[in-house]
Amino acid sequence: VRIFVIGAGQVGSTIVEALHDEHDLTVVDVDASRLTALAYRYDVMTVQGDGTSRRTLQEAGLDSAGLLIACTARDEANLIAAMFARMVAPDIRTIVRTSNVEYLDVWRERQLDVDFIVSSELETAHAVSRTIGLPAARQTDVFADGQVQIVEFDVEADHGRPDVIGPPLKDATIPTDSKVAAIIRGGEMRLPRGSERIEVGDRIVVIGSPEAAREWSRIIGPEDRRVRDVAIFGAGSMGMAIADLLLEQGIGVRIIEKYPETAQAAAEKFPGARVYNATGLDSEFLERERIDRSQAAVLSMRDDAKNHYAATLAKVHGVQTTIAIVHEAASREVFEHGQIDVAIDPRSITAEEIVRFARDPRTQQVVMLEGDRFEILDIKVRPDSEFVGKPFRELPMTGSLIGAIIRDGRPVFPHGDDTLQPEDRAIIFTESSRVAEVERDL
Amino acid sequence: VIAARRLGPRAGAARLAIDVRGSLHVVGVLIKYLSLAFAYPVAIAVGYGESPWPFVAAGAIAAAGGLALQLATKGGRVGVREGFLVICLVWLLAPAVGALPYLFSGDAQLTSPIDAYFESMSGFSTTSSSVVTDVEELSHSMAMWRQFSVWVGGAGIIVLALAVLPRLRVGGRQMLEVEMPGPETDLRATIRDTARRFLVLYVLISIAMITTLTVVAWTGLDDRMSFYEAVAHTFTTLGTGGFSTRVESVGAFGAVSQWVIAFFLLVAGTNYALMYLSLVRRRPHQFARDEEFRLYAGVIALASAILFVELIRQNLASGEEALRHAIFQTVSIITTTGFASTDFNEWTVLAAVTLVALMFSGPCAGSTGGSVKIVRHLIVGRILRRDLMQTVHPELVVPIRLNGVRVDERTLRAVVVFVLLYVGCFALGALLLLVDAARTGLELSAFDAIAAAATTLGNCGPGFGFAGPIGSFDPFSGASKGLMIVLMWLGRLEIIPVAVLLTRSYWRG
Repeated sequence: VRIFVIGAGQVGSTIVEALHDEHDLTVVDVDASRLTALAYRYDVMTVQGDGTSRRTLQEAGLDSAGLLIACTARDEANLIAAMFARMVAPDIRTIVRTSNVEYLDVWRERQLDVDFIVSSELETAHAVSRTIGLPAARQTDVFADGQVQIVEFDVEADHGRPDVIGPPLKDATIPTDSKVAAIIRGGEMRLPRGSERIEVGDRIVVIGSPEAAREWSRIIGPEDRRVRDVAIFGAGSMGMAIADLLLEQGIGVRIIEKYPETAQAAAEKFPGARVYNATGLDSEFLERERIDRSQAAVLSMRDDAKNHYAATLAKVHGVQTTIAIVHEAASREVFEHGQIDVAIDPRSITAEEIVRFARDPRTQQVVMLEGDRFEILDIKVRPDSEFVGKPFRELPMTGSLIGAIIRDGRPVFPHGDDTLQPEDRAIIFTESSRVAEVERDL
Repeated sequence: VIAARRLGPRAGAARLAIDVRGSLHVVGVLIKYLSLAFAYPVAIAVGYGESPWPFVAAGAIAAAGGLALQLATKGGRVGVREGFLVICLVWLLAPAVGALPYLFSGDAQLTSPIDAYFESMSGFSTTSSSVVTDVEELSHSMAMWRQFSVWVGGAGIIVLALAVLPRLRVGGRQMLEVEMPGPETDLRATIRDTARRFLVLYVLISIAMITTLTVVAWTGLDDRMSFYEAVAHTFTTLGTGGFSTRVESVGAFGAVSQWVIAFFLLVAGTNYALMYLSLVRRRPHQFARDEEFRLYAGVIALASAILFVELIRQNLASGEEALRHAIFQTVSIITTTGFASTDFNEWTVLAAVTLVALMFSGPCAGSTGGSVKIVRHLIVGRILRRDLMQTVHPELVVPIRLNGVRVDERTLRAVVVFVLLYVGCFALGALLLLVDAARTGLELSAFDAIAAAATTLGNCGPGFGFAGPIGSFDPFSGASKGLMIVLMWLGRLEIIPVAVLLTRSYWRG
């Protein structure tokens, strides 16, 4: 399919990275330097120009495209690009990125002529909420309406049950209905063969049922880390979306906001939350309000440096888990080396969500791990695939692994004797470079 | 010299920031229309073969005086600012005009001007404190005029409470603002639109009550009730000013009539805007959701329970009678009506304290009742709770809500200021009554002085001691009566408009 990507920022680049192998991409951006950088790395066509200009789109050959992804940082520009695309090519499918939850509501009421809309705020809020559900996890994602969970854990010293951490995998008591999909040690991925061990300092990726994911959380992290109360620093649109979702799930929420008007608006919107007009960088305040009664702190202020500082302060005052929203790509690394347990990048989450929709129609969902080095695919098995009917233990161990299959809507966590059936949906952990290969083989 | 003279008055007018001329014009028009109210007692007098002349004369004076004032002050512009002056003047002048028939009638109980003015102010402010010692001595037409003045006053208060005071932002009234059609350019037009809707409701409820009581009378459920009494008591129930044609007040009627009156009292103390929404616009769930109405119902339930237990415990009444008196007296006092189903002066101290406490409660805002009003208590309670929370958590942001909607800080301040002024006026009033009683050698206990100040400022009516429900305010000195006239006037206008008139910045730019 020929795909137009409007906007070559972080979201645009991530999308290009994920899709350039299989599709014919045209990237439009006003900033020539961004386009040069992209064209240098990937085999894509670039057009320097305004994505909201109908003529630019037409001249770039939009009429022959099958999909338009409008993912600039400006909501209105994205919507206008999608509208013009509909005019130029009536059969085109359109995906729009927005930071405004209201547009999402309008779209759900079918008032917006767009095929798919992704709200960074909402996707981020869901990511935060999933992380809070599994406090030891670094990143989590769900498949098949939540029946299968993919969780990334850091194995720390002090905690960790010895019957799982240490012995070879074939001897370890792995929770039922789960599978270790990968072990990442020193930036290198190791396939989890039976002789492989999980060691302290590893990062592991686990695929399993929600119960198994919780069991893993208990194996890796300390006991009783259930989160009942969350402190949210910053009541911007991101903080508000997170507070909304957590309150909906019955989790107690405290909001700390520096600006009086913003704090007042938050207090008005959420009668169930406690809102403080304070900076959150004030040690005396955090002590007085017993910030440690919140098991988790979400740092969603606009300034990454402040988030980093506040997270460290929160840790000092006894908060167990800190989750920070990343605004600059570079911050992620800083966060992960500092006192931040989970760093959530709204742009990569948005890109993921868009890629899921843009992929091969057989592929339903994609998660990117470790930046975008690994992906998790949810792919339907073709009846004529050479792997159909083969027991799992005979499948080749290359760079990919089937973590679960969805058969007739129900998840199956396969053992060595199980076989792959046509029409199964396989949830596959793979290196990003092998995505095309996996899609071809299945 | 001529030029200077011409400029003189204009320069004076320019320095005065208030259009007094325009205000007087409005007052003149309103007094002129008030003269129409005298048609009703004239008809009663003719019907009962009594002299209609006191009413005809009073009506003629009102019409001529109002017209003269209107013509003499032609032109001028009335805005929000002039509104304060207009309502203060109207609520002083209307009772004065209403007092004329009492003077003209030559009835021995109301011959002194201060007594006549007291009685009339008590009626128009829907207070029902009375200097009359034996109501049954009054002629039919005079007794009915007393009742009718309460109903007219009630209609005025509906306009005042729902249309005028919210726009003048008095005592946090702005939160009650029902609908504001158009910009605030002409105060008269916007008030007319809002007021009309609620006055229709007022009349409809009045008709419903007259019908119910008449049915009670004609079906023989209560042989002491009659059509005349039904009309007379409907006027004072809906106006929440409990004048009665009987010395024993509502105690003169049977149990069924008392229950009917209690029900309509409850209705009269409800916010008309809320009733309009739930009944006319057919959104009955609004009642259950309205926080003020819920607290109103709660306070009534609590106070009735206290009185009921007390009546039973002290063997003052039993069974249905105890329940009826407990509920009736609670709604009568909380709505600041002041009917008595029995002489509660004879009840215990706990019962008396409960009733005086209810005088400070008042019914829902947007009703014809007086006093502080439930919603202000609700707001003050929430301000209190917020301040206590913020003592422990200084950074906590706590928006104060009413029915889920945030109340802005200005409104909150206005509510607190009103309550403080109210308590101040009450305390000063009680003190002055005691001082004056000492001066004239009147035997007045501290509790009775407190009750008298609370009942007049709260536009409730009866007090305790000699001023109890079947007693009279007649023993008070002329000075004390004058003070209580001021208290009734202040309470009715919710103090702030009067206080505003006393500030220099109101009159100057």
